[in-house]
Amino acid sequence: MNRPLLILCLFPISSAWPQSAPPQIEQSCLECHDKDNTKGGLDLTALPFDLGSAATRERWIRIYDRVEKGEMPPKAEDLPKPERVKFVKSLAASIYEADHAEVLAHGRGPLRRLNRDEYQQNLRDVLQLPDLDIRDILPEDREGHRFNKTTEMLDMSRVQLVAYLDAAEAALHAAMTTESAPPPATKYRAVGTDLFPGTGTFGNREAMFFARDNKAIDDLKGHHDKDEKHSAKDDTIELALFRAASWPYLGTPKHFTAKRAGNYKVRFSARAVLQQPGYVITPATQHLPMTFRTRKPAGVDIINEVHDSGGIIDIQPDKRVYETTVRLRNGEAIEYSLLGLPMPLAMNPNGSAPSYRYPPFPEGGQPGLAVQWLEIEGPIESQTWPPPSHHVLFDDLGVEVKPKDPQQDAKRLLRRFVKLAAREPVPEEDLKMFDALIQAQLAKNVSFSEAMLAGYKAFLASGDFIYVREPVKADDHFAIASRLSHFLTNSRPDTKLMNLAQRKQLRDPQVLRAETERLIGSAGFERFVKNFTDCWLNLRHIRRDDPDIRLFPEYRFDEYLVESMERETRTFFTAMVHENLPASVLVKADFVFANDRLAKHYQLPPLSGSAIRKVNLPKDSPHGGLLTQAAVLKVSANGTTTSPVVRGAWVMERLIGQPPPPPPASVPAVEPDIRGAKTIRDLLALHTKSKSCAACHARFDPVGLALENFDILGGWRTHYRGLEEGKRIKGIDRAGHGFSYTIATPVDSAGKLLDGRSFKNVNDLKAIMAADPRQLARNLLHQFTVYATGTPVRFSDRPEIESLLNACAKDGYRIRDLMLALVQSPIFLGQSK
Amino acid sequence: MNAPYIANSFSRRRFLRNAGVTLALPMFECLRPVFGRAVQVKAPQRLLVISNNLGFLPKPFFPKNAGRDYELSPTLAPLGDVRNEFTLFSGMSHPDVNGGHSAENCFLTAARGPTKSGFRNQISLDQYAAEKLGQVTRHTTLNLGVNIDKANRSLSWTRDGVLLPAEDSAPALFRRMFVQGDPAAVKKQLQQLDERGSILDTLMDQTKRLSRDLGSTDRARLDQYLTSVREVEERLLTAREWELKPKPVATLPEPKDIQDKKLIFEKFDLMLSMAQLAFESDSTRIVTLMVDAFATPAFHLPGADNTTEGYHGLSHHGQAEEKVRQLGEADREQMRLFKKLIQNLAAKREDEARLLDRTMVLFGSNMGDANTHDNYNLPILLAGGGFKHGQHLAFKRDNNLPLSNLFVSLLQRMGVEAERFGSSTGTLTGLA
Repeated sequence: MNRPLLILCLFPISSAWPQSAPPQIEQSCLECHDKDNTKGGLDLTALPFDLGSAATRERWIRIYDRVEKGEMPPKAEDLPKPERVKFVKSLAASIYEADHAEVLAHGRGPLRRLNRDEYQQNLRDVLQLPDLDIRDILPEDREGHRFNKTTEMLDMSRVQLVAYLDAAEAALHAAMTTESAPPPATKYRAVGTDLFPGTGTFGNREAMFFARDNKAIDDLKGHHDKDEKHSAKDDTIELALFRAASWPYLGTPKHFTAKRAGNYKVRFSARAVLQQPGYVITPATQHLPMTFRTRKPAGVDIINEVHDSGGIIDIQPDKRVYETTVRLRNGEAIEYSLLGLPMPLAMNPNGSAPSYRYPPFPEGGQPGLAVQWLEIEGPIESQTWPPPSHHVLFDDLGVEVKPKDPQQDAKRLLRRFVKLAAREPVPEEDLKMFDALIQAQLAKNVSFSEAMLAGYKAFLASGDFIYVREPVKADDHFAIASRLSHFLTNSRPDTKLMNLAQRKQLRDPQVLRAETERLIGSAGFERFVKNFTDCWLNLRHIRRDDPDIRLFPEYRFDEYLVESMERETRTFFTAMVHENLPASVLVKADFVFANDRLAKHYQLPPLSGSAIRKVNLPKDSPHGGLLTQAAVLKVSANGTTTSPVVRGAWVMERLIGQPPPPPPASVPAVEPDIRGAKTIRDLLALHTKSKSCAACHARFDPVGLALENFDILGGWRTHYRGLEEGKRIKGIDRAGHGFSYTIATPVDSAGKLLDGRSFKNVNDLKAIMAADPRQLARNLLHQFTVYATGTPVRFSDRPEIESLLNACAKDGYRIRDLMLALVQSPIFLGQSK
Repeated sequence: MNAPYIANSFSRRRFLRNAGVTLALPMFECLRPVFGRAVQVKAPQRLLVISNNLGFLPKPFFPKNAGRDYELSPTLAPLGDVRNEFTLFSGMSHPDVNGGHSAENCFLTAARGPTKSGFRNQISLDQYAAEKLGQVTRHTTLNLGVNIDKANRSLSWTRDGVLLPAEDSAPALFRRMFVQGDPAAVKKQLQQLDERGSILDTLMDQTKRLSRDLGSTDRARLDQYLTSVREVEERLLTAREWELKPKPVATLPEPKDIQDKKLIFEKFDLMLSMAQLAFESDSTRIVTLMVDAFATPAFHLPGADNTTEGYHGLSHHGQAEEKVRQLGEADREQMRLFKKLIQNLAAKREDEARLLDRTMVLFGSNMGDANTHDNYNLPILLAGGGFKHGQHLAFKRDNNLPLSNLFVSLLQRMGVEAERFGSSTGTLTGLA
């Protein structure tokens, strides 16, 4: 990379960079932007050329961007090309110099505090408690530029500080044990009626019953104790479990909870079945996806935390033994569930008891599961005692924590703990302060262990621990390690990375590259994928809007579909990085990641099984790429209708990186009046009737139009649906509910972009977008930059971003290449003075 | 299901019956704080501020005429029975607080230019009042929310312009106000407070050291941390005193929470009754409540189906009849809840006065017209507080009066000697 040269050609730097505004302003801008004529609220005669002030600089940057893009002045002839080039060059040089000077003086961005996900993960790693739950003790973090890692938004307040202290306290107490020996490993086996907590489920027998010889056993209820005990051992009884029509099903095996957190092996015998009227079961014709989840056993309307664990198992129609491993917390049990439903709603929408509309049964029968027996064993990992977390706190002082010399041991343990927890060496001066705190507690006759925890708590809430900062000096390797690990694993550097920092090897490009690749390949990278796509693509809100079942009865309570689409998009993004795919694939791909449900949703040849896998698409398929992924189409719709305006803006902002400018505040808003609009197209025409609206809407409305062939969950449609006009469709949905909607107007997905290029359908649009991979890559680099550094791309970073793009250009801007390049750049590594 | 916790004018007898407790009425006695009232010299004045961040449809909201004889508009029609208990303001807004939704976090701060780069929020009215009044109740303020996006929206902001997250769980709030730990728990709590004090001292010293080694922008960040340490320390002192005092007794059962965002009005009702409980028990004198309509998906309209789309989508109605109709219904439902609150507060007595006369309730929005993202001509209603109500105070629609002027009047009524707040240019004329 010949970076300096590039900066030179884009931004002519000389000792005499202009100290005044470009002279062209006088001729080309003042007609509309002086004190008498402040169009868009801009009076250039009152805007000082004080680029040292961040706020004023921001305004000049906006002016620069609009002129550079040719948007201003509106009539191109008002600023002829040669003059425009001069203008842009002169202004760029001035702004660059001012911004760069500030970066050199104060850094790219100030230190930022850990967000609550990072804080929890740091403590999980430090304390060796992989299941520690303290995140919810901390207030939700504000977002900036869509991310929860943006410095500017991660403020500190008294509420936040108290929450850090509370969270640290909870974590430390979870790490400490007072038990002299581990509770013994559990071996549990259930057959018959022990497979379920009661003899029936809440309200609906169709959701669960015990069966013998494929028929429900009629009168288990009210039997004598003796009979109940008998039936609990009766291995001719099967537990038959179905998916409720309107009611997510839940149940845990009787008399089992984990006495200790850990991994448990679950083995069970089961088969897929179909329920027929009269509580009769028949063998299924195809397999059924089943999930194990974990939760504390609770009543049906008690909402407590549920964790996915053990994956999805496809249960076959013949009786087989299955095995999986689930992670249980203390007091949790496994919950059988079909299709990994989310937390059940406690009530029906109208407050009445949930009711089935059976008959009619779904054609062929209601799919479900019959379980013959179940075994749980664990924790299966080897157990040391006291547990490793206790060891982190108290070294070899044992469960009783009996020091030989409390004062000396306190000093030793503190230094040991801080070394394990800190992300860089802590000065002795600080350690002495924590020493003093512990000694003062000891002097007050607080127990040794509590006094130690007070010291640890103080450290875990101290500025040293809760802030991460950008690398500043050439030999500042610890900050690089922290930045890298929080970028790629949302947590502290692991031992290897800390050792490299200690040995000052992280500015060696080869070492840094190898470490970046190592973290991308590590298990912790899943946290990056989750958090990054949660924010960037708003996947965390994928369940925000329920589909309107009046219009879309086929989506009623289809959690499996929602869960599958979420996995699809995360798997897709993971593959983009791991397979190092070119940026154009983001919008245009000849493959999708799908399972049985998604194949059906996308009208692809049928797939079998719940596992998400890569599937090649037939030619001319509208799918492939983020634009047409169900998850993206869901979060950009509202559950009832799709809006080309919203979707278009969503795509332009998040995928293309050209957010619509905010409506000018000082211009009296034009009240949109959409009465009389029949089709969405009419509506948009009205919407953009006014010139001042159209100028912006023309940038994104058309993009949304191309996506109109996709309904609120990303299903293909050729017509809109309505409730009043059009051909009426009536029927009974898969859960037995009647529905009635109409086929309304046809969808027209053709459009024309602002630059004049037109498209007939979404594939044309994809081709247009894929033709500019540099913009897709640029956007992604911008997103990575704010995610990794907490500070958005600054003006003086722009040449560097272009230089990174140049370096990645020949391979089509592959995604992992972009990440690797960013990590090697001064944007990430800090600017040495 | 999900009947609001304190339904139908705070049916006291029913509640006690439900709670399985026989007690001599009036209930208010049961809620009376064990502490503090006896030495009171001046009658306390309370403040409840409610904002719906998408506001109301302006056309059916504002009456055509002003003064005492104004005619109730369609939206305000449900308030007919209590028309002399509130004042309606028009022609008010926060100067330079614009940018559509961005204004929602400035409703109580009046901080200018929320969309400008480098914007920083300022202290909110409730926090300002609490600072001036000191900790006279267990909680200096309570900051509540309905359907609120807690990370990003709040009416309450610190002096540093940092968001104070809202509480949106009625049971959690109830426990904070009424549930007393046993003596062992209290002792443990006191020990913890003592330990906290020592930890904070250490953090203060450590941060000063850390700050020494940092550049100026980092130091500015760390100043927030230092301020936080100081503020927590200050509060520890009073927290200790309060820990030693018994909490007020509520014989009511803990309320059941409403978590379904569709039930926005049921939740709103529940949170209003929690605010009322807080005042009655003198747990706090200041409550803020943001109804986060923006974060509300398609919702339940009483006596009807769910709305056809989310609240925000509806608010950009473009005059589409069906959307306007649903919004109008939502607006009126909120006025019904407001009326119920006024009546409940009027029915309660504290000493000889009506609780309403000692409670100012400001109900409004940062949004003048959500359809156009307009932040001028805000809808503002004020009830209680012993003001002479029953009029429509109309200011200029084309040259709005700063809403902060009203805030200053409220502050003064609370006994805060403030001459200005936010962008105020004086106090409000016409309000006595």
